[in-house]
Parts: sequence; structure tokens; C-alpha cells
Amino acid sequence: MTYSTELLKGTLKTIILKLLSDNKKMYGYEITQKVKELTSDKIQLTEGALYPTLHALEADKLVTTEIEYIGKRMRKYYRLSLEGKIKTKEKVKELSNFMESMVSLLDIKPKKS
Amino acid sequence: MYCLSDQEVDFILKDIIACGIITEDIQNNLLDHICIIIEQNLGQNDDFKEFYFSVIKTFYRHDLSEIEEQTRILSNYKKHLVFNRMQFFLLVFSIFIGPFIAYNILWIDVNWQSSRWDIPIDIWGNSVAYALWPSLILLVIFLTPEKFEPLIPKKSTILLGIKPFIRIIPDF
Repeated sequence: MTYSTELLKGTLKTIILKLLSDNKKMYGYEITQKVKELTSDKIQLTEGALYPTLHALEADKLVTTEIEYIGKRMRKYYRLSLEGKIKTKEKVKELSNFMESMVSLLDIKPKKS
Repeated sequence: MYCLSDQEVDFILKDIIACGIITEDIQNNLLDHICIIIEQNLGQNDDFKEFYFSVIKTFYRHDLSEIEEQTRILSNYKKHLVFNRMQFFLLVFSIFIGPFIAYNILWIDVNWQSSRWDIPIDIWGNSVAYALWPSLILLVIFLTPEKFEPLIPKKSTILLGIKPFIRIIPDF
């Protein structure tokens, strides 16, 4: 089962920021693969959503970039800026609170292990 | 692992640009992304172009320029309010009909004491006359089937703000 894009839209920035916070520096393809791996393929970031979001995060100065040349092409690595680190904490906290509210609202019982 | 030649890398980049990706940052990111997929999945005897076109198709719903459009939305329209189709229609409907409903409620409230709580026919008539046409036009726009290319397609995103005041972005 994969989740709808509607559900993912509001969480994409948080997902990317958190991954960058856990992995220091990453490039686009690596981010998509990491998300697939961590969610057992349930969340698949599309290129159409990922790259515009990375571009916006860079414009907002939440990430810094560095370029590595691989033959004729360049690979852009993204790393959290100081501002980005603060924002990540805020975003993760916000999403966590939201999820708690949703659990209460939808009366979802935690799975018994 | 397949090793892409410089000509093949150039071919991919040219195609990305021809498909409407004008932001250099996005061009380079997409180029790298596609190259990795090709290098990891293309066999030595497979056809490069055939494989490339099958890969690039998975990047979009209608065409590749959607990614450019989405980039511009996120970069340029930060101060715009974003609505989905239903929210936008509800907003416009409220703007047109809201004042009449508010006026009628106010009228009932003011005349409650004099036990004239029923709204006179002329007030009803004016409300209906003024609200009817905008409502009908909105209803037609809302219900236009996709095959007739409606003004606001289903699943589109509507941006409201300054410069431009309104922008309708088709489905991504």
C-alpha cells in the first residue's frame, strides 16, 4: 500500500529536513531511496515533488549545497543550515503533535506488540 | 553497471531542456537522477534511448514541465493563498451569497421584537435576484465535465494573492 499524494503534500518538507538532519548531506536520488527503504516502499517521493521542494528549501536558506562533478554531470548535495536545524526541530515537533491529535480524533488504538 | 557516454549525458540534458525545464538547478538534479537510474538498470545490450524515454515518463503525469511549474509555484507564490477546487468555489460562493444571507439574518434579528420575523417578499426577491446569476455561473463552471476543458479543472490548485491576483494551476 502506498499513501496518496494528498497525505504526503503537507509533510514533504518535514521528511526531507529530518532526513538531512540524520544523514548530514544527501543528494536527490539518495533521498528518494532512503525514504523507500525506511518506509518499506510505502512512501515513494516523486521527482516532481522532491526537486521543487529542495529548490524552495535552498531559496529559504534552510539548506546549503555543495557540488560534486561526476564526469560531465554535477551532483548536488544538500546539507542543513543552522536555520534549517532549528526549523527541522519545529517541523518535527509540529508533525508529532498533529499525529497525536489525529490519533485522538480518529480514535486509533495503538497496535499491540 | 552501464557507463553513460558524454553524448548520452548531453542527449538527456538537451531533452530535459526541450521538455520545458529551464531552472538550471532542476536540470542538473534531474540529469543526475536519470543518469543514476540508467546506470543502475540499463543492460550493456539494451537500447539507451528506449530505456531513457521509459524512465522519463515516470517523472510526470502529463509532461515534464510540471516540475518546472511546481518549482516556480513554490519559489514565487509563497505569499499567495492556496486553495483546492472545492475550497475555492466555497469561497467565491460565500463572497457572492454571504452578504445576502447576512442581511437577511440581520433583518430577522432587528425585527424580532416587533414579531415581524418573516422576511418580506421584496427582500427575498432582491436576495434571490442578485445571488441567482453568480450562483448559476459558478454552478456551470463547477459542473463542466472534464471533456469540455473547464475553466477550473478537477484537482487543480488555485492561488490567490497579489501579482497575479488569481492563478489556476492544473493537476500535478
